[in-house]
Amino acid sequence: MITVGIDVGSLSTKSALMNNRLEVIASDVVLTGGTNRAAAETTYEQVLTKAGLTRDDVGYVVTTGYGRENVTFANKHLSEITCHGFGMHLINPEIRTILEIGGQDSKAIRIDEHGNVENFAMNDKCAAGCGRFLEVTARAMGVPLDQLGEVSAHSQNIVRISNTCTVFAETEVVSLVAVGTPIPDIVRGVHNSIAARAASLLRTVTISGRVGMSGGVALNSGVVRALADALKTDIYVVDNPQVRGAIGAAFIGQRQVASRDA
Amino acid sequence: MRTERREGERAAQYQNLLGLMGEPHGDRAAAPDALIKAIRMRSVMNCHRLAEAYRETSKVAYVSEQFPTEVVFAAGAMPWNIESMAIMLAQSVDVNRIFQLTQEKGLSRDICSFLRGPHGMMLANCYPTPDVVLTNDQPCEGLAKQMCLAGKRFDVPVIAMNTPESFDEDAIGYVARQIERMRERMAAELGLEGSSESLQRAVAFSNDAREYYRKTVALLETHKLPGISRELQEIFGMNYFGARENVTLCKALYQAAAELAKAAPGGGKRVIWIGQVPEETHELLRHMSREVEILYWAPLWNANLRSLDETRSLHSIAERAILYHWNAERMSVELERICDRFSVEGFVIVNVWGCRNIAGISPMLRDFAARRKIKHITINVDLVDRNNYAFNHVKNRVDAFLELMQ
Ligand code: SF4
Repeated sequence: MITVGIDVGSLSTKSALMNNRLEVIASDVVLTGGTNRAAAETTYEQVLTKAGLTRDDVGYVVTTGYGRENVTFANKHLSEITCHGFGMHLINPEIRTILEIGGQDSKAIRIDEHGNVENFAMNDKCAAGCGRFLEVTARAMGVPLDQLGEVSAHSQNIVRISNTCTVFAETEVVSLVAVGTPIPDIVRGVHNSIAARAASLLRTVTISGRVGMSGGVALNSGVVRALADALKTDIYVVDNPQVRGAIGAAFIGQRQVASRDA
Repeated sequence: MRTERREGERAAQYQNLLGLMGEPHGDRAAAPDALIKAIRMRSVMNCHRLAEAYRETSKVAYVSEQFPTEVVFAAGAMPWNIESMAIMLAQSVDVNRIFQLTQEKGLSRDICSFLRGPHGMMLANCYPTPDVVLTNDQPCEGLAKQMCLAGKRFDVPVIAMNTPESFDEDAIGYVARQIERMRERMAAELGLEGSSESLQRAVAFSNDAREYYRKTVALLETHKLPGISRELQEIFGMNYFGARENVTLCKALYQAAAELAKAAPGGGKRVIWIGQVPEETHELLRHMSREVEILYWAPLWNANLRSLDETRSLHSIAERAILYHWNAERMSVELERICDRFSVEGFVIVNVWGCRNIAGISPMLRDFAARRKIKHITINVDLVDRNNYAFNHVKNRVDAFLELMQ
């Protein structure tokens, strides 16, 4: 039986299609844009096309993410915390602590040996330390988002970014650029700032076992490096971090189908 | 010091209050039949108290949370809990207007809305003018300051009590002496004569009510009783212990709980709501109640369940005042007891924006929960000022918590 997981996030909507051997056959990412429902429809169609399947081949659809409840064709919807837990467990069963940094929030999740969530914490006061923080500061430095990791690798000195507020940090970055601070040092400072916040979020759920990272920001090797330094441990980064939530949702779909058919 | 009230002042304030009445913010979840009588009784009692407080001849004492109201009733005054009143009235009045007034006066939005609310009510001049302000400095110093401001605003005496944290004979004696002096000042400055007989009577009423209250709480240990915990919270919040009608109300609630207990087995997931409580129709409560049973923590506290010693009233009231203190060590012992007796599986730690008190004990609560393997969630919300809170933002993590509880 085929299941599909759809993660309707604030910036992008992701989908993953899974077979009953728990293999991900196809995945897809689209921008969410104005309507959650339309984005979910689009990515659903696209992931089916990639897999050469139709809706009739799908036995169960699970949605997650902020817009999960707006997808009327879903059989079930669950929070992305639960879905990321299972998604990460599926790829590496040794992972017990997860950091997921998305566009507008970050989550620390602790899971048990079966992938069930034991505890979690989220940033809630503001978007500091999230993908948006990177986007805004990258723009202020004139560095493309996908090159931040590489640029920070050339840093020679540590620059401290003291503001955690995205808007104030942007001003701070602009002034550092204006006084001629080398860009790699500023980028590293930004990464360190994100890592420091993430580390304290992780500590609130008690770090145990292997630490894994998912979410779009996991694609940034500079943040991963800074986090590994802050926690003094290796960070396991999944291949397709953006679609981990959707994969977890598809996995939950498989479990639902299995218990329904049992 | 101002001694005379303007003629018609309270009548005007009552009209102002009525003028602020707006649409209710949500539907009340249907209450079980057995409970309706107790709910109606509470509403009528609150209405009566409101009406009494706005009568020109009434003696009104503003009081802070968990104030020993027996002393107030014994003096023949009407306790007006400025915080609980604001929460209750927030269901009906135009809260936006209230907060707008506080902003116009430059009151920082960093201050918790449980303090800004009553302040705004006073700015809207819709609280009845007090004759006296009685305050305790725990659990919240911010509230104590707010009470002093109220005294200044209305130019009436403020009688403040200091409650130490330590629970020993010295501390108990110190608090008891303060209460005694408070009674003397109320008598001397306001003619609020509280004889020892009237205090005895108020303490006896308080104990009678507490007896029913305690028996109701005991039923919650073994039964799932929809709506009962909320009513216990309401009675705790309004704090009419010491008034005769509170005995009738607590008895009606106990009877309702006993009736419900006949049909209600235990079972279902239970969480305790730790921290400030929003009005009963709040969407957060309605959303969570679909999946879990919510017990409010304050009604379950030992301090709130104990009877007073009628032979040593002031000493006993002083003991209770100290035990109400948010002392982290005692609180942790209390939580052990509550979790064991009420089979609690989850904590909802509600961190109201700007509240240092809950923020201060949150780490202890989280450590406790982790040690006892109790699922927990901390939510940062504003339960009164809707300019500071969006349900959808909080809902996401609440849903994750509810999934965790399954
Ligand atoms: S919410 Fe906190 S700060 Fe506000 S009145 Fe209550 S205890 Fe004090």
